[in-house]
Amino acid sequence: MENFDLKKQTPNLIVMALLVTLPLWINYVSYTQLGTQVVVMGLAAMALNFLLGYTGVLSFGHAAYFGLGAYGAAMTIRYIEPSTGLGVIVGTLAGMLAAMLIGPMIVRLRGVYFAMVTIAFGQVFYFIAFRWNTVTGGDDGLTGWKRMPLDFGFAKLDIQRDPTTFYYFVLVIFVIAVAIMGLLLRSPFGRTLIAIRENERRTRFMGINVNLHIWMSWVISCTFMALAGSMSALLNNFVDPRAFFWRQSGVFVIMCVMGGMRSFWGPMMGAAIYVWLQDYLSSATPNWQSFVGLVFVVVVLFFPRGVMGIIRRKATE
Amino acid sequence: MSFLSIENVSKHFGSLIAVDGVSMNVERGELRAVIGPNGAGKTTFFNLITGMLSLTKGRVTLDGQDLAGIDPSKRVSLGMARTFQITEIFPDLTVRENIRIPVEIQAGLRMSPRMPKAMEAPIRQRIEQLLEEGGLTKIAGRLAGELSHGDQRATEIMMSLALKPRLLLLDEPTAGMGDDETYAVARLIRRIHQEEKMTIVLIEHDMRVVFNLADRITVLAEGRPLAEGTPQEITQNATVQAAYLGGEA
Amino acid sequence: MTQLILFNVMNGLIIGAFYALMAIGLSLIMSLSDVINFAHGGFLAVGAYLAYSLAPYIGFWGGLLVAPVLTAILGLIVEKFLISRVYGRDPLYSLLLTFGLAFIFEDGTRYIWGAQSLPYQVPGWLMSPLSSSFFFLTGYRMLMIVLIVAVVAGLFVIMTRTRLGLRIRAGTLDLETVSILGVNVRILRNLNFGIGIYLAGLAGVLAAGQLGLQPTIGDSLIMPSFIAIIIGGLGSLTGTLLGGLLIGVAQGITTVFFPSASEAVMYVMMALVLLVRPQGLLGEEGRF
Repeated sequence: MENFDLKKQTPNLIVMALLVTLPLWINYVSYTQLGTQVVVMGLAAMALNFLLGYTGVLSFGHAAYFGLGAYGAAMTIRYIEPSTGLGVIVGTLAGMLAAMLIGPMIVRLRGVYFAMVTIAFGQVFYFIAFRWNTVTGGDDGLTGWKRMPLDFGFAKLDIQRDPTTFYYFVLVIFVIAVAIMGLLLRSPFGRTLIAIRENERRTRFMGINVNLHIWMSWVISCTFMALAGSMSALLNNFVDPRAFFWRQSGVFVIMCVMGGMRSFWGPMMGAAIYVWLQDYLSSATPNWQSFVGLVFVVVVLFFPRGVMGIIRRKATE
Repeated sequence: MSFLSIENVSKHFGSLIAVDGVSMNVERGELRAVIGPNGAGKTTFFNLITGMLSLTKGRVTLDGQDLAGIDPSKRVSLGMARTFQITEIFPDLTVRENIRIPVEIQAGLRMSPRMPKAMEAPIRQRIEQLLEEGGLTKIAGRLAGELSHGDQRATEIMMSLALKPRLLLLDEPTAGMGDDETYAVARLIRRIHQEEKMTIVLIEHDMRVVFNLADRITVLAEGRPLAEGTPQEITQNATVQAAYLGGEA
Repeated sequence: MTQLILFNVMNGLIIGAFYALMAIGLSLIMSLSDVINFAHGGFLAVGAYLAYSLAPYIGFWGGLLVAPVLTAILGLIVEKFLISRVYGRDPLYSLLLTFGLAFIFEDGTRYIWGAQSLPYQVPGWLMSPLSSSFFFLTGYRMLMIVLIVAVVAGLFVIMTRTRLGLRIRAGTLDLETVSILGVNVRILRNLNFGIGIYLAGLAGVLAAGQLGLQPTIGDSLIMPSFIAIIIGGLGSLTGTLLGGLLIGVAQGITTVFFPSASEAVMYVMMALVLLVRPQGLLGEEGRF
């Protein structure tokens, strides 16, 4: 890490300032829960982009790990111990473990083939959640639980009833996770991942075990995805199999592309736009799905570099 | 035994025999050129040495170690680095970042989640030194994908050198270049060879480059060894003249 | 018991044939254009609903004949004006594009035909069992099998005997050379897409008679189709056919002994294939 460079830190400072002050201004445009939703989906999109944008691997099955995080958290709180902290930990580890096991089967594959296999593996969890209804609640989802207040012994934090407190809880988790990903990407390890994205053959002939590095990147990405999933379960006090569904994986990818895959904060911006747009559309029209589909088409045809790509191009002109 | 010893290697693709019983011994510090008309099997021969293709027959040893069954990425840690006919660099990164990545890999940091404080200075120093040697300092901040052909090639060669190889394999380093660029790249290769005592094997089409640089030359034709010797011996060799040089020189 | 197993194997073969019909279309498009057509299930639904709407005018047989063709024409239009615009770009974009189309198709069919499921009338004589001991062998099932076999056989003839088929196959191996030889790659990809969508449309009409109509009718078929391709091997039509039938039969047999695992079994098969033979049963190495 270089010394503190104000110019390089400007985007980070802007994003942080916006997020920290969000509860103060959000009520003029929307409501706090939607802000929390943006942060959760932003974490998910940035986790996916670790693999998609920085390692160059086309994963279309990330909803599975999001869902594992969500179910892991929900089922822990419902069945094992009504503790938010434990739920988050179990959910995240569940996603990590699944990624570690599935990883070796897919790291040899590339391109659309990788995409197809990841999406197919993702569906396994959808069916488990769907079929195993005595435990998961099946199609109706898992209810009968709530996120619990945090108890640190010396202090209690009521994230259960106060949405603003819960928002800050999610934000703290978000900042820690994003900081870890950011530091990893600036490390020598992160640079080998970018090298793989840039030119796999060259990287291989530098002595890098490409498949192993892709596996590591995959596990890191899926782990943070699961963390985001567990946050999402806490936010809604509810999970259902749709968290796993393959359509959701595509939504995470479009968030990355819409915001800008080559920019660190791009996916966050994409998530913000998507969450807000979906919220608006689903209240405005019963055919909101068509409009979401239209967003996909328009982004692909006209804004393939995303918002950050456009900003960057304007800046260099 | 020679530093790089290739014994009687062959490569068959089904019924097609691309390389047929070629042997070659390269000594430490030698610059060996492999020449031959198109379709002589030069690149296949190269890929057999680097492990991109598996041998049908024969043996390749580096400094006495048999390379059979060793993956290309592992051959790098044994000291083998290569460039490609079509330049393989990191196009969307700056030249400095292109060099930084192999320097860090060579320093054993490929898995490091953070840069150790003590290594920051030596690594930066090494990057600047390589940029300097390759004549890349002025363009170090530009994206590698936007450079001229010659500068991209120089970048690729310096990326390979950053790995501190014991053997450098160059596949047509001046392919598709104009005279000025060819000259610059040839000068760079000569300097690496003479100042760093690097052992180099190169495939080359440009005969001026070959006869200027090479200590010894191996001539392939239709996958078979045709002749081997110093540049002088090769120019005087009647078989080579007839088969190859006659038409061009 | 024997009859139960036989029944489920038979069932599995029919479902497998559906998977194969979908998967062959997907695989054709994927091999030649490097596009995963996520909207394939949407096209299938369109084929089914078109047949439903046309049936009052041209009858069951007319719908069976015309609806897949209309679906294919829709496919040609979508390819020409949307999908062809992302060829040559990062495959990510084609995936997102067809993803968006999948959303639009599903919502569009719901908008036009409604969300509730509709019955699809099949001629009565087709629905009665052929014999009392094999009560599950209805005429409709026989019809489906005969039709699917005929279409797949026809496709293989096209692929191996006609100039179009030879060009498509050559194009999947080396598109650049084919274009240098003077073949118009744009048209080739367009027609190839149309063939794939025709198969989806046909599967839709046949599925409608068996399962009834729902906007999400394609959803339950698309994931097994992906798996059929993975198991059979990308680029091999025979492999894809085999893959589809295999998972169909495996599902049928699992239903007898452990019904709740009937979906899981194909994922297990996929995992096994990826571990032992990542290029698929009949796929060539280095094709992915």
